[in-house]
Amino acid sequence: MKQTREIIIMLSLMFLLCGTAAAEHTGPYIGASIGANALVKAKCTDDQGDFRLAFDPDMQWSAQLGWDYGQGNPIGVGRIELEYSFRNSPLDKVSFVEGGYAGAGKITTESLLINCIGIARDAGIWAPYLGGGAGAARIKASGLSSAGNPLGSGSTVVFAYQGEAGVDVRLTDWLSLDVGYRLFGALRPHIDEANGGSFEMEYLSHSAVVGLRAGF
Amino acid sequence: MIKLIWSIGILLLLSGCGWDGAPTRINDFVPLTSIKIEAVSGAIAAHTSTKLTAIGDYSGLFSRDISDRVVWASNSPATADFVTPLLPGRVTGLVPGSAVLTATAEGLSASFELSVSSSTITSLTITPVDQSLAVGLTSQFAVAGVFSDATVQDLTFDVTWDSSATSVASVSNAAASKGFAQTLAIGTSTISATFDDVTAATSLTVTEPKLQTITLSPQAPSILTLTTGSFTAAGRYSDGVTRDITSQVTWKSSKTDIATISADGTATALTQGSATISATLDGISGTTNLTVTGGNLTAITLSPYSFTLVKDSVSRITATGSFLNGSILSSRDITEMVTWSTANSAVAAVTPSDGNLAWLKALAATTSTTITATYGSKSATAALSATAPQLATLTLYPTALEQLTAGTSSRFRLTATFINGITQDVTANADWSSSAVSTATVGNVERGKGRVSGLAVGSATISAEYGGKTVTAAVTVKQRTLQNLVISGGTSIVAGNQVAFTATATYSDGTSMDVTEETVWSIDDSNVIMLADSQNQPGQVVAVDGGSAEVTASFGNKTETTKITVH
Repeated sequence: MKQTREIIIMLSLMFLLCGTAAAEHTGPYIGASIGANALVKAKCTDDQGDFRLAFDPDMQWSAQLGWDYGQGNPIGVGRIELEYSFRNSPLDKVSFVEGGYAGAGKITTESLLINCIGIARDAGIWAPYLGGGAGAARIKASGLSSAGNPLGSGSTVVFAYQGEAGVDVRLTDWLSLDVGYRLFGALRPHIDEANGGSFEMEYLSHSAVVGLRAGF
Repeated sequence: MIKLIWSIGILLLLSGCGWDGAPTRINDFVPLTSIKIEAVSGAIAAHTSTKLTAIGDYSGLFSRDISDRVVWASNSPATADFVTPLLPGRVTGLVPGSAVLTATAEGLSASFELSVSSSTITSLTITPVDQSLAVGLTSQFAVAGVFSDATVQDLTFDVTWDSSATSVASVSNAAASKGFAQTLAIGTSTISATFDDVTAATSLTVTEPKLQTITLSPQAPSILTLTTGSFTAAGRYSDGVTRDITSQVTWKSSKTDIATISADGTATALTQGSATISATLDGISGTTNLTVTGGNLTAITLSPYSFTLVKDSVSRITATGSFLNGSILSSRDITEMVTWSTANSAVAAVTPSDGNLAWLKALAATTSTTITATYGSKSATAALSATAPQLATLTLYPTALEQLTAGTSSRFRLTATFINGITQDVTANADWSSSAVSTATVGNVERGKGRVSGLAVGSATISAEYGGKTVTAAVTVKQRTLQNLVISGGTSIVAGNQVAFTATATYSDGTSMDVTEETVWSIDDSNVIMLADSQNQPGQVVAVDGGSAEVTASFGNKTETTKITVH
């Protein structure tokens, strides 16, 4: 988590240094980004009570296909895109009434979202953006365990949503650098327990991403 | 600037880091690897019991009490057995001998050998001894038994408990609560424990209920500067009863420069801010926050600021405060809060009455003096010229009241003209009377003087006598049916300001009448708006703090409500 924060803080401070230039793209684009993902400590609930799963930060990547709306567009300056993302979250610690124990296994999340992004564009080389998206996520628990004892596994598809903010840096007329933050959440997925039954977990993650977007 | 805001916004998004609450679920994902049985003693006397505890070890990671999750069994149920299903692990020795007791769970088991002796009881000791408890409190008694083999055993579960005065205190013999005493009424009871004809006893004295908590009301009120607010203290006692202890507690304000509080719980707001009001009794305290709004006093204005009064006559005098809250100015009546004084007490006197009502009386003739109203470092003066001319004429206004309806009122004003040409409103100085008090009455006390109330259909003559002269006016009370009630006075007020609302009644014959004084006014949230002075300023409200509240007017069978927003 600390590592993720440092990355995001660094990226946030980067665009304070940005200068101004010009030119913008209108039309279709493709993009790809990579970054760090941190799934926040999750409250998990079953019929016996609440317990906590804590995760280590790990990687995420995503690919986008979208349309860039330039200046003068009647619906405003921004983008609409279809985004596929993959997030990996290794289990770090599991806490019960008796205490916390080392965890193993991971939660992987594949999502397909439609994002709408508004851009505060001017004549400068960079422009801040703010957006949000909604769609579906397939959340898969693989080999979750606590102190070597199986905890749960399985996968489920749930509604997912995302808020995003960042900055577009115009590199050329057709190529842009995207430096951003993503707040990704999903409706409480149900995960099968190793000893029968299931638990539902809260799901919310922070991500810092860097990507390239090419217009054509 | 937008770059800076954008950066800060992103950083703030990092604030949420997940759930840090306390887990409530036990860890049953780790397999149970062994069980052990713990006991106070390996030997007990026949007809006594002891509690066995099964401790489960989970793969060496942790252990916990699993007494209620194992299956208990005895290899010799005739010697010792688990005869109390409600209490897992409690084993009773039935006859002398020995028995192997086992606890089994998840395919694992542990055993414990219990020896049951034939020793007999020699004495019992109850604890606590000679306890004193307030009504409503509870106590767990325990008893230790000494046996013929010199062993000592906890027999709390095995004895028969008794209370000599069950109306004073009860003691339980139920399996799950043996020896648990509940005090019921003031008095003394003997609590006894009997085992095999051996009895031990101790006294339990039940005293007056003991204060447990104090709750103040209202909770977190807002009041205006230079007004007062009353707090009450409710004490919850050990017997479960809540009592009004307002006059018993010690009241305290955390910031006496903002608000003071008197021994009867009346808080006086001095300056804008917040203070904590506390009430303490017998070491127990209750607190609430008091918010003082409405700005700080900057000036006082007297109305009228110049009087000419005839000797021995009175006139109403009013002090209005100007308040500043930041850049917002407001004003309201503070007659009740100022201290009145006169430069020459032989010439004039000010007599405060209830609420925002004060009377100035001229005591001498042909002399002038000043009247001063003071609050803190602020003061204002008014000039009084006292005179004693000869009365020439009296005039009543209006000359007649012909539209009065039963249940409503209206006012006459009496003006005296003296031979030197001066005039004075002497309504409050005249002696008023009605010729038909079953039809209409007229007030003859303080601010009520000259106010005519219609009681029944008919006519009456109202007389006003002053200075040896009398004038009269006719009053006609008519029968009308109330059709409608309308409140007027605005919908938006600046905090700290006083605003007058009026209530107008419309009748079946098309006439309408101001019934503000007959209307019962109420407000649903006194932290937003308060009534200025229901006796002397009916319909007038003062805005206390930002928000919205409803002002309700009730007259006859009509009720009207208007929503007021305070800025």
